[in-house]
Amino acid sequence: MQYSPSDNMAGTAAIVPMVSFRGVVKRFGALTACDDVSFDVAAGEVVALLGENGAGKSTLMKTLYGIHPPDAGQVLVEGHPVAFTRPAEAMAAGIGMVFQTFSLLPALTVRDNLAMAWPGTPWFLGPQGRNARGALTRLAQLAPGIDPDARLGTLSTGEQQLVELTKVLNLSARLVILDEPTSVLTPAEAERLYGLIRDLAADGVAVVLITHKLADVEACADRVVVMRRGRIAGTGTASAMTRAAIVAMMMGDTGVRGGDPRGLPPRPDLPARPYPQLLLRDVTTGTAPADAKGITLTVNRGEILGIAGVTGNGQTALAEAVVGIRELTAGEVLLDGKTISRRRLEPRQPLAIGYVPENPRENGIVPGLSLAANLALRGIARPRQHTMHPEQVTQCLTDYDVRPPDPGRAAGTLSGGNVQKLVIARETGEQRDALLMVFPTMGLDITATASVYHRMVDAARAGAAVLWISEELDDLLELAHRIAVIRDGRISSGLPVTPQVTRAEIGALMTGGQP
Amino acid sequence: MTELAIVFFVWGFASLANATPLILVTLGETLGQRTGIINLGCEGGMLGGACAGFGAAMATGNPWLGMIAGAATGILFAALHAALVLGARANQLASGIAVWMLALGLTSYIGRAFVGGRVEALPSLAGTWVSSLPLVGRGLEQLSVAAPIAILLVLLAVWWLERTRTGLSWRVAGESALIASENGMSPTRARLSAVLVGGCLAGLGGAVLSVDYTQTWANEITKGRGLIAVGLVIVARWNPRLVLPVCLLFGLAETAAVRLPAMGVEMSSYLLSGLPYAVVLAALVANHLAFAPAAAMPADLKKVFD
Repeated sequence: MQYSPSDNMAGTAAIVPMVSFRGVVKRFGALTACDDVSFDVAAGEVVALLGENGAGKSTLMKTLYGIHPPDAGQVLVEGHPVAFTRPAEAMAAGIGMVFQTFSLLPALTVRDNLAMAWPGTPWFLGPQGRNARGALTRLAQLAPGIDPDARLGTLSTGEQQLVELTKVLNLSARLVILDEPTSVLTPAEAERLYGLIRDLAADGVAVVLITHKLADVEACADRVVVMRRGRIAGTGTASAMTRAAIVAMMMGDTGVRGGDPRGLPPRPDLPARPYPQLLLRDVTTGTAPADAKGITLTVNRGEILGIAGVTGNGQTALAEAVVGIRELTAGEVLLDGKTISRRRLEPRQPLAIGYVPENPRENGIVPGLSLAANLALRGIARPRQHTMHPEQVTQCLTDYDVRPPDPGRAAGTLSGGNVQKLVIARETGEQRDALLMVFPTMGLDITATASVYHRMVDAARAGAAVLWISEELDDLLELAHRIAVIRDGRISSGLPVTPQVTRAEIGALMTGGQP
Repeated sequence: MTELAIVFFVWGFASLANATPLILVTLGETLGQRTGIINLGCEGGMLGGACAGFGAAMATGNPWLGMIAGAATGILFAALHAALVLGARANQLASGIAVWMLALGLTSYIGRAFVGGRVEALPSLAGTWVSSLPLVGRGLEQLSVAAPIAILLVLLAVWWLERTRTGLSWRVAGESALIASENGMSPTRARLSAVLVGGCLAGLGGAVLSVDYTQTWANEITKGRGLIAVGLVIVARWNPRLVLPVCLLFGLAETAAVRLPAMGVEMSSYLLSGLPYAVVLAALVANHLAFAPAAAMPADLKKVFD
């Protein structure tokens, strides 16, 4: 791709862009993560850098930020070529990056977290860090509600993100790069962030928003740069591009199927006669904020019950209590009339229901074992049952589109999407009465996400009661029959998904605010 | 009743004298662990400090030179630990034990010349203005200047960690070396300085023990106090503020072990000498039951045990 001035630079050609990428190439071994990428970001402009996971968006920004210096090509900051080799150098040049995982310490106070990175912090901090209070000035503007003396770990993810953003702005950043900032936020928090981004741009700060959410683009971007497989697939003014056009650019020729641009399956029909298959009665795991407290739910045969909520509101405790790997302090879980929850853990008892845990790489596979062994993990608890023949294993891997379908390969070497497919293959490979999925599409790209949802819908069609814990409101509204909201370990009653249920309504339940 | 109060009063000050070396070592180990480095070699640093300090005080007749020699020796042993751990990326536990063993061997060898030697203790508080203080004057008289110095150093460490930018960078390094460097701090520098300061305090603690408290040299004079310090860091929950009370508890148990027989308590002296260690063990267990000490543990320190 030839370098050309960006669309909205016409008429302001005399102004040097804040940052220019010129033919940037970055390789990791045989993989070319960024391939001849060129574009500009002007001061006061919000550029949405869109693309699927693995499209090279984050890598491109890391070539600028000194984490992955480029193999070829040039990066210019205000017209001067730069070659940062450490983030500290990029920070000194006025470039700040907010990563998905924050560079903050949960054990320290907000004040200490900001003081540690603020260049103006004096050597003597004074009592309660009083001499470094300049680091808090901007926080007071961005988020007056945050107590500077609170431990960072007690803040919500959205609040932590604001602290991180404050920290970056404290470095007098003139270019702020945000890596998937809304993936951790409630709808209300995301709205506030959009407003902040617009304010920053109005102050002349250039903003690059790395995202795969079209909502982010519509809410606050001036310009869109779409990446696919390390290359720029297209650019344009945000207001002039349709959703369909952007998705087509992100997916290339292969992606768009059927009516839904993201290839989601239709919501399965409910069986004519509701049969309560999975019953949660007053499920309680403790009293901590992240414990489940008095959760009562019924999931019918063939029904998908979605549980919306911001991460850390008791989802993990609820899921583990339901599958029987966490002790209950009160209540019970019944599958088809039989209790499957436990007051005391008996590790030798196999799980009764299909379980796709959150973060499957950590919780769902044994990375050092082969794909075949990982598929057979459930069988290990029941040694008498016949094990799969190698051909069956290969067939199963192919059916579930695990790539590469090599039974002897170590599971830890698979990509995130394929790890998830492997876990789903194991958990839904045989017919089960219930299926529990926890954040099943977190970190997956559009194709892998669609495939996960197809498997979930298939399981429901086959008669499983599906409990689906997710943060993806749009997907919940699209696929679930009913949606319940979890907050502080307590649950709202399940709302049936009707056209009347809106994002705002669920969002309000998620945060405890009014719609 | 008043007699009992007096006994406890006197014991309290005796415990402080007894615990002074331990306060210094525990404080040093706390600082190191706050930056994410565990140094089991602090037992070695203490032994080395006790040996070199005694030698220097014996040779020069000046206890202060003994303190300086002890502190310097502690720094040397800590530097070895730092070189192994920060330089060669050795396992912290293995490196600490190696340093300890080295110090044990060296001090046994070198210390043979010091057996039976005489040294002058640090100046006593008796006869100074503190003697004339009401109530506490009589207790303070039993102490040397080492005890107030140790208490001042504890306060200094609290001030350093909480009120200075360098102290903040130490705390940050202990929570996450990665995040420290992401925010423009050098975790290695923080760890190196904290380990060396910790070694200095361990050596000083050793020198106070041999020169000022026992005023004799004996092989393995520290009797595992350096390792006790590692345990007490956990009981004090990595908080230098709590170093003082926690070490006093150990000192009190040791005072009791010495003084109970004189008060007519009939118990095997061997059992009694184990009392302080049993107390530390009990404190450790109680601490684990009452709090979740892992919550106060510097996060990067947990990696040592991964």
